[in-house]
Amino acid sequence: MDKSEVFDVIRDNIEEVLPRVTREQIRMDGSLVDLGANSIDRMEVVTFSMEDLGIKVPLQSLAKVDNLAGLVDLFHKHLHESA
Amino acid sequence: MSVVVTGMGIFSSIAPNLTDFLDALKSGRANYSIKMVTYGSEEMPVVGSFLEAFDFKEQLNSRQSIPAVLKEKALNAGRRAPTAIQASILAAMEAWIQARLSEHVAAEDSVSVIVAGNNLTNDYIAQMHRTYGDRPEYLPPRFILHSMDTDQVGTLSEIFSIRGEGLTTGGASASGNVALIKAFQLIKAGESDIALVVGPISELSPMIFQGFDKISALGGTGFIENPALACRPFDSGHEGFIPGQSSACLILESRLSAQARGVAPLAAMLSGKSCLDANRQANPAMEGQIRVMKEALRGAEIDAGKINYINAHGTSTPLGDETELRSIQAIFGSGKTGPWINSTKGLTGHCLYSAGVVEAVTTILQMQNGFIHPNLNLVNPVDDDCMLVGSQAKPAQIRYSLSNSFGFGGINTSVIFAGAGVNGTL
Repeated sequence: MDKSEVFDVIRDNIEEVLPRVTREQIRMDGSLVDLGANSIDRMEVVTFSMEDLGIKVPLQSLAKVDNLAGLVDLFHKHLHESA
Repeated sequence: MSVVVTGMGIFSSIAPNLTDFLDALKSGRANYSIKMVTYGSEEMPVVGSFLEAFDFKEQLNSRQSIPAVLKEKALNAGRRAPTAIQASILAAMEAWIQARLSEHVAAEDSVSVIVAGNNLTNDYIAQMHRTYGDRPEYLPPRFILHSMDTDQVGTLSEIFSIRGEGLTTGGASASGNVALIKAFQLIKAGESDIALVVGPISELSPMIFQGFDKISALGGTGFIENPALACRPFDSGHEGFIPGQSSACLILESRLSAQARGVAPLAAMLSGKSCLDANRQANPAMEGQIRVMKEALRGAEIDAGKINYINAHGTSTPLGDETELRSIQAIFGSGKTGPWINSTKGLTGHCLYSAGVVEAVTTILQMQNGFIHPNLNLVNPVDDDCMLVGSQAKPAQIRYSLSNSFGFGGINTSVIFAGAGVNGTL
């Protein structure tokens, strides 16, 4: 799975958790906070995406992530480590 | 400060709205089936009146009268919520619109929300445990919100912009009446002008079903071949309670507030009382039942003879049904001069936490429409010396009614309503 496919999974879950956000508004250089997600919404997007991708990412590693590109990188790295 | 009812709503296993519910009450329509419940290695059939799966968005869209803004808020707050929350929203929405609160902007801090029952989420928690017990990393973060009873309070307050008091009332099977009584007290005390009282559907986990079965509280084992006959309050063939799933809502309001808003009351709530038996067990006791009904009459300032209809607790449980009839006869007398008596649980099943609210809605619908609904499956009454309604609805003009709910832990409650046409009460 490449990074654009990981991003698609994340975008699907953002649409599920934040119905007011359109797919076009979700950009790699944007953040979940920018899209109006509260702390529980953000964890929902992360948890659902981890479940869809079949990976388990330690929560403390999320502290260094400050935009969606960072989340895609982190998930992509774990996908390849677990493969 | 007198208290009136200005709105009602229901979302039930026998009807999705008030109009259909009224039709079910008149015709004696029920909806019993069997569900297989698995707990560990035990698999048991449970007879009940179960809410069928529904599409929350479709249900909201099918209701023409919901203003767009309110519908949007309900969808946002409820679309991913557990079934019990969605059912509460649908019942509350119907009541809110009937009370015309969607047109009138009340002072938000004068409106309260009271949700009947506690341990409302045990089946949701059990479901989440089954799904995520061996992969906890994927437990949905919103689980912790949905696991708490207060999720009902918070969700309803968000949708209806309620900023007064909010609480849940635990009273086992009497929780619905306890909620009505607390709302009544809030309005009487001048703390709130309006109280949204919501009885949520009971969603029992397999372990809870097993637990009720262990103490032989559940009925139905003799009726597996014909579940429609299992719930038979006051009939000598009763075995135990038959669970039901209905969510109901009643809006209580001070008479002055209703007048100021120009909303005609549907009924008046004259009193509501609750008392204990000093007993932690599951058994009913005549002394407490008699005491609470007398206290309710005293609070309403009416004589027992004025009550011409009693919506009984009547759970289809041998000891419970017989005890309640004896308590009623001790106050209201026996024979043909006593009040009409029926049990809504024959039609809806025992809705547990919401039972008191479901039965208040049922009581007021009968008062408004001049009839008394049938006692389903009443063939051989456990007591012939009282006015139990038979298998057909009876026409009746109810002026004053009393509704009982009793709960495990010796909790006794009674509430009294007067019809909209009764002089001096509205």
